[in-house]
Amino acid sequence: MNRLVVIAFLAAALLLPPHLRAAESDQEVEAHKAVLDLAGAFTNDGFKMRDGHWTGTLKTGEHALIAVNLYAGNQYWFSVGAVQPAKKVEVAVYDETGKLMTTESYNEGERAAAGFSPTTSGQYYVSVGLVEGDPSSFCLVYSYK
Amino acid sequence: MTRSARFVAAGCVLAGCLTIGGTEAPHLPAEQLAKAVRSDEISIPTPGELFAALEKPGKPNWSGQFRGPLPTTYRNRAQIALNLGGLIADGFIAVEAQDSQQVKNIGSDIIKMAKALGVSENILSRGNSINEFAENNDWDALQEELEATQNEVKTSMQTHSDQDLIILVSLGGWIRGTQVVSAAVMQNYDERSAKVLRQPALVNFMQAKINDISPGMRDNPLVKSVSDQLVGIEKLVSFPAGKAPSPDDVKKVNEAVGHVMADIQQKSDGK
Repeated sequence: MNRLVVIAFLAAALLLPPHLRAAESDQEVEAHKAVLDLAGAFTNDGFKMRDGHWTGTLKTGEHALIAVNLYAGNQYWFSVGAVQPAKKVEVAVYDETGKLMTTESYNEGERAAAGFSPTTSGQYYVSVGLVEGDPSSFCLVYSYK
Repeated sequence: MTRSARFVAAGCVLAGCLTIGGTEAPHLPAEQLAKAVRSDEISIPTPGELFAALEKPGKPNWSGQFRGPLPTTYRNRAQIALNLGGLIADGFIAVEAQDSQQVKNIGSDIIKMAKALGVSENILSRGNSINEFAENNDWDALQEELEATQNEVKTSMQTHSDQDLIILVSLGGWIRGTQVVSAAVMQNYDERSAKVLRQPALVNFMQAKINDISPGMRDNPLVKSVSDQLVGIEKLVSFPAGKAPSPDDVKKVNEAVGHVMADIQQKSDGK
């Protein structure tokens, strides 16, 4: 039990927002670069990228859940980038009741994105998971139009 | 919440995430949703996002939402932070209105207020960029620059151990943005536009963040008043999912946020 608590605390430190932590690790910086490259493609389609991002670390089979607040009428793309040894990541969106939303999806190994157009404004949850590969840092950004 | 408590909360998040690891969960339980990560920089939308949604059914009269210049000589740091957030929202409005002079005026006021809070000198270069993009009518770049300016102000606050002010900047922006959006919807009611006002979880999150700041700042009369009024505002923006607020609902939201905004702008400092 104690071991679990220690592990949870250590991992929690990695899930804290960047400004509450020490400088981002090299792996997180690389993950950020990877996701900017992916999200940049959506800007060609008129999407504006949020300046904020979220970094964390995932083990295989784990999911991180991040709360976002979205507006009905907007279209969103949630993009995630990870770096080797991660091999495959996935992104999903849930509504405020926890129901899985239907999204457009893009998967390219350690990068993935989910496109979503809410019809109701409010809180949603972005789930980021590491499907294949070994533990790695990931970075989440989102774009809207 | 203390920093160690944040660690505990984030630890719970991880523990919650582990419970769904490995298998697809089509419906997440409420206790797991409660443990999701929430952060200022990704869980609070920018005014730009709000305004983008508002103008989907039709472009509102953005320039009709301009307000007169704010005093940039507030002495109360909490009041400056709240007004700084509101000013940044004004910058987004001026960009939507594509009024380069208004953008430059607001950019100048943003820099003055940021300097009054003692944020990094780097912010000065943001002011120059805002002017340059405004001269060139580069509206997309201006939106990015305004968001980057807001983030730089927050990062500087973090660096200078002014964390308490960060949520006040976000809150000021949300209040001003909601005031403008509710006013625009009142002027030309449309159910699709009105739907953007539904944000109970966002108000609840900001309220929780204010409860998390240091007792000294929390007891500031203006912060206390704003925080108290947020309780009522949260109820007003808690429309049922899928149902658009009525024109009367919108009016109530506008009056409530207008009242908070008047308190924030009032020149007489709390202390």
